[in-house]
Amino acid sequence: MSPKATTKTTYHIPVGPIHPALKEPVLFEFEIDGERIVDVDVKLGHVHRAVEWASRKRNPIQILYLAERICGICSYCHPAAFALAVEDAADIVIPERAEYLRVIQGEWERVTSHILWAGVAAHEIGFDTVLFLTWQIRERALDLTEFLTGNRITKGIIMIGGIRRDITADMLPRIQKDLDYFKECYGKLGKIFLEDKTIKLRSQGVGILEKEDALKLCAVGPTTRASGVKKDVRVDTSYFAYGDLDINCITPADLTGTITGDVYDRIIQRLLEVKQSIDLIEQCVDKMPGGDIVAEPKIAKLLNQLKKVNGEGVGRHEAPRGEVIHYVKLDGNDAPFTWKVRAPTYNNILPWIPMLKGEQIADIPIVAASTDPCMSCTNRVGIVKDGNKYELTKEQLHKMCVEKTRRLM
Amino acid sequence: MKFTMLPSVFAQMFKKPWTNKFPAKYAPANTTKFLADVGAGKAKLIPPIETPPNFRGKIAYDKEKCIGCELCLKVCPCGAIEFKEKEKKIKIYLARCCFCSQCNDICPSKCLSMSDEFLLADVDPYSKDLIVE
Amino acid sequence: MAEKNLTPEQFVDKVMAEKNLTPEQFVDKFKDEFKTNIKDVKIKRRAAGSKKNETASIWMKVDKSAFKKVIEHLCKLQFPHLAVASGNDLGKTIELIYHFTVNFGKRMEEINLHISVELPKSKPEIETICDWIPGALITEREKMEMLGVKIIGIPDDRRCFLPDDFPKDVYPWRRDEKGLEKLYKNLHEVKK
Repeated sequence: MSPKATTKTTYHIPVGPIHPALKEPVLFEFEIDGERIVDVDVKLGHVHRAVEWASRKRNPIQILYLAERICGICSYCHPAAFALAVEDAADIVIPERAEYLRVIQGEWERVTSHILWAGVAAHEIGFDTVLFLTWQIRERALDLTEFLTGNRITKGIIMIGGIRRDITADMLPRIQKDLDYFKECYGKLGKIFLEDKTIKLRSQGVGILEKEDALKLCAVGPTTRASGVKKDVRVDTSYFAYGDLDINCITPADLTGTITGDVYDRIIQRLLEVKQSIDLIEQCVDKMPGGDIVAEPKIAKLLNQLKKVNGEGVGRHEAPRGEVIHYVKLDGNDAPFTWKVRAPTYNNILPWIPMLKGEQIADIPIVAASTDPCMSCTNRVGIVKDGNKYELTKEQLHKMCVEKTRRLM
Repeated sequence: MKFTMLPSVFAQMFKKPWTNKFPAKYAPANTTKFLADVGAGKAKLIPPIETPPNFRGKIAYDKEKCIGCELCLKVCPCGAIEFKEKEKKIKIYLARCCFCSQCNDICPSKCLSMSDEFLLADVDPYSKDLIVE
Repeated sequence: MAEKNLTPEQFVDKVMAEKNLTPEQFVDKFKDEFKTNIKDVKIKRRAAGSKKNETASIWMKVDKSAFKKVIEHLCKLQFPHLAVASGNDLGKTIELIYHFTVNFGKRMEEINLHISVELPKSKPEIETICDWIPGALITEREKMEMLGVKIIGIPDDRRCFLPDDFPKDVYPWRRDEKGLEKLYKNLHEVKK
């Protein structure tokens, strides 16, 4: 991974501190021999927005909304982890009904995100029909999100000490109808992804991540569970209401019996997780207790309470892409002393290196997309070949990926 | 060769498209002329889909009830609210508002609420339509 | 790379082997080995849900001189999961907190382990843990560029998140003269 003797100059356009949602450039530098990749180097930092520094002038309630805008798809898990960290530091007890509601919102976000990913992965192979089908299904999911929270993407539903909106009894029939629709769609999607010959040809045996590599490189989320490592924050710890629910860690062995750790296993992993999420939401709706939805309804009183706290807290949550961890240190002022955010993709970047070595260039988009990065793969790819340097743009890379599918068919 | 998508593709040919064609079925060649026609009654605008209840649209401000406590300024994440010292009332800049409705929750006299207006695009961020006071 | 004589299968089995320690037993295993180099141990338990199941967190402070050996001891006891390393600027010292988790894989048995090290600002140096835990590379690079900590022995010391033309002696997370105050421009003055 270190720069070798050849001088590599790469050209990247600064996209600036503004973040167009879902697209963040990552610079890869490959050394290739013919069509095979010999070495990989990853460069980050193109969309560094100094979010943690912006928190030094804001009180915890304002930071909830700042955290929401870190990412468009995981717009629920960052405020959730931040609220968990502040509640840990300030020792706030959350009412039970709020914990069940938080689980429902979190799992619904997971369903939306995995369906979006299924479309993006199909698009990378060149299977655009599936992209349109999955995103049509996702529209229905976003309509339900709008009904429950008031907005499609930036939900703004977490509050420190609970949740902002309740799910009343008259909302339940609509939720049940949508869950039934999703169970039917899940059957359709499962058949398409797991039985289609094109997808199997492109994804089996490609981009393998061994179990030992996944453990040593501290990978998180479905990427590591598809390699056989059982790390899932919902199963391992008890937070929100997961301690009461019937949940276990899913690996691809539940469906096929063997674990290879390739792209096909990751597809299976995410589809099984969609089914698990729908099941968890139904369990929550059945078991929901009554009560308050927030520990301290008067917000001015909550801010004064947080101002007197002196301590540190850590909040961890299982986002659709892996484990999110936030660390907060409160010291008696309005704004926290320190706020550290770690999104799940940053732990999943190092595993790209063993996954991509030995693969062909045309496999780069599907392997990188299979880890579901919360940034689109490369803006520019710089290649050194026989001492000549030239660059491939994203469009050319995508075209090469689609052409390989046509050659295989 | 198993083409699993073919049944869905065939079924889609007979179904109505999912998209609601707001505001018109095809993009008009001349937008200003189209809007003039709508005003005169010659063309019809297809309406957007109904928003659900509790949708977070443009802020509605009831000036009479406001007591000037400045609590909404403290929680606004975007700095979109300005306090007018002499009148003891507020001014909200919608160009900076992120529609989180946190100001609604904290207001002790409940003078702020969210309407369901969402067609708010404008050319100038400080135009009259985008300032609520 | 650690444990050169273990095959991949043996390594994986070893990680999964010792998973029956309670938080108190864990702390004892460290205190027995390192005695006074471990200070300020706090075990916090937090309950959640209707059944009030608890999750335990261990916070401990470690001396800088014993830090590498503590990590080696932890890896030999049970290979942990490193979540992230966060940093604080406390005036005269820089505090680095490494957030680990152990006992993953079994239902509700995971223990959060937070190990903090204080480094004097006159000599902010610490050894790398990349030879035991290769996944620590990115978080260590981030500490180097954000806090000005020198990590000895790191395999790759380039900048990670900041652009290459960012000024060399400015460390964004610091609160002293090496911080960001000079570069800060107040961009959002609303035109009245």
